[in-house]
Amino acid sequence: MNDTKTEKRAVRRIAIAFAVSTVAGLSLALVYIRGGNVQAEGILLALALGGLGWGLAEWAGKLMPAGPEVGDYADPPVPGAEEEVAGVVEEGWEESFGRRKFLFRMLGAAAAAMGLALVFPIRSLGPSPGTSLLRTSWARGIRMVREDGRLVQASDLAQGGVITVFPEGHTDQADSQTLLIRVDPATIQAPAGREDWTADGLIAYSKICTHAGCPVGLYRVATHDLFCPCHQSTFDVLDGAKPIAGPATRALPQLPIEVDDEGYLVARDDFSEPVGPSFWNMPT
Amino acid sequence: MRRLRRVLAIGFAGVLWAACLSGVSAAQPVSQFDIEAGRILFENACSSCHGIGGTGTDMGPSVIGSGAAGADFMLTTGRMPLDNHLKQPVRKPPAFNPTEIHRISEYVASLGPGPEIPDVDLERADLVDGHRLYAENCAACHSSGGAGGAVGAGLEAPSLARSNPVQVVQAMRIGPGAMPVFGEQTLSDHEADSIALYLMHLRDSGDPGGLGMGRIGPIAEGAIAWIVGLGLLVLVCRWIGEKE
Repeated sequence: MNDTKTEKRAVRRIAIAFAVSTVAGLSLALVYIRGGNVQAEGILLALALGGLGWGLAEWAGKLMPAGPEVGDYADPPVPGAEEEVAGVVEEGWEESFGRRKFLFRMLGAAAAAMGLALVFPIRSLGPSPGTSLLRTSWARGIRMVREDGRLVQASDLAQGGVITVFPEGHTDQADSQTLLIRVDPATIQAPAGREDWTADGLIAYSKICTHAGCPVGLYRVATHDLFCPCHQSTFDVLDGAKPIAGPATRALPQLPIEVDDEGYLVARDDFSEPVGPSFWNMPT
Repeated sequence: MRRLRRVLAIGFAGVLWAACLSGVSAAQPVSQFDIEAGRILFENACSSCHGIGGTGTDMGPSVIGSGAAGADFMLTTGRMPLDNHLKQPVRKPPAFNPTEIHRISEYVASLGPGPEIPDVDLERADLVDGHRLYAENCAACHSSGGAGGAVGAGLEAPSLARSNPVQVVQAMRIGPGAMPVFGEQTLSDHEADSIALYLMHLRDSGDPGGLGMGRIGPIAEGAIAWIVGLGLLVLVCRWIGEKE
């Protein structure tokens, strides 16, 4: 059976669509490998998927037999009728697909190019974060500075005062940002083992919410609460920054602090636990 | 003679101008009469909640140690007197005239040592420092444009759009309500003045685009533009469709 003129034209258009898709898919992989460009990648992905879609739609619309063919079985059944139907189905398959080896190859190429382009982003899941999620720049003896680099003394904060501090030399490290708050020392209910983690009413907690990582910058003095503006998690400053409302389930990590010989505030160690939101292999 | 008079007039105007800039209230003299008059005003208007002698009751805290700054802030912003002590005080027109406020403030200051009314000098302040310090210390609650915002537990950080420089610095020094204290060791007078100058800059710089929307930033503003703009477009489409 030979193709009609319309079918020949359809085959040509489908082939072009699949070819465009193949080229776009390969280009997408290439652009990604070479560093990526969001706009170019978007256009290429649209071309690759669009070419595939266009080709398949045209194939279904122009080259497949149109419409269902309905007929009654003879009753009682005529011997050999089932074989006849099977023959018709096979013929239809041959008619629709078997003859289209060329188009199948084009389709395979387009799909392979697409698959290739999608393999490369897997590489972007690495490298492993290592211990960067577990540690911050705080360590024993590291002095506190404000955002502008000035060292912090115990006298810098009045009762009810709060400032954001960083480890000296690391004011650019967001995961090390810490809230330093002065409360009445008699009111602190230190969790077991943290009795000497504060210095004369000065208490320090990670500023990063344990729920979704927003800065917990809103300190309500009257009730000693830290309030996260993103999802209303609330932490009790006097009671180890345990969550008392909102979606956060872990306390804010506490930074053990002391005053050094020169009167400056220093950390005694890193935070009590990893800062920020929980992650699946976080040690508890 | 005429020249002398002109020189004197210009000089007087200059002194007035300087007094306006530095905040007149800070310069008023204190007399025993003022304190006594303040006591009578306090006992009439404040003692039902704050107690005779300012010692506090179940309905209101002690004001001993609030200082002139505490009383002046609460009275000039109209937050006190309060009609419902269970609600957060909000800014409203002051209930007392400046003389009465001065007298009550001096009476409260006489009860015990507390912060004095700050001497704010915007001339020596630095706008760029003010912006940086505001972003660092204030914006978390009062929002980057000073529009204020919710801080949870039914409380809100008020808008700073109507605050004058003295009130801004007073609030830092006394930490009213749920607000933390920013003492002179935390933010020096120069730094506090710079923050006040930045807020005055925000207040006076106007909104060329019309509705300011609290200057909440391009993303939120864009979202409003999309929703309102698209909504209008949908209405227009519907209107056209109905006409056909």
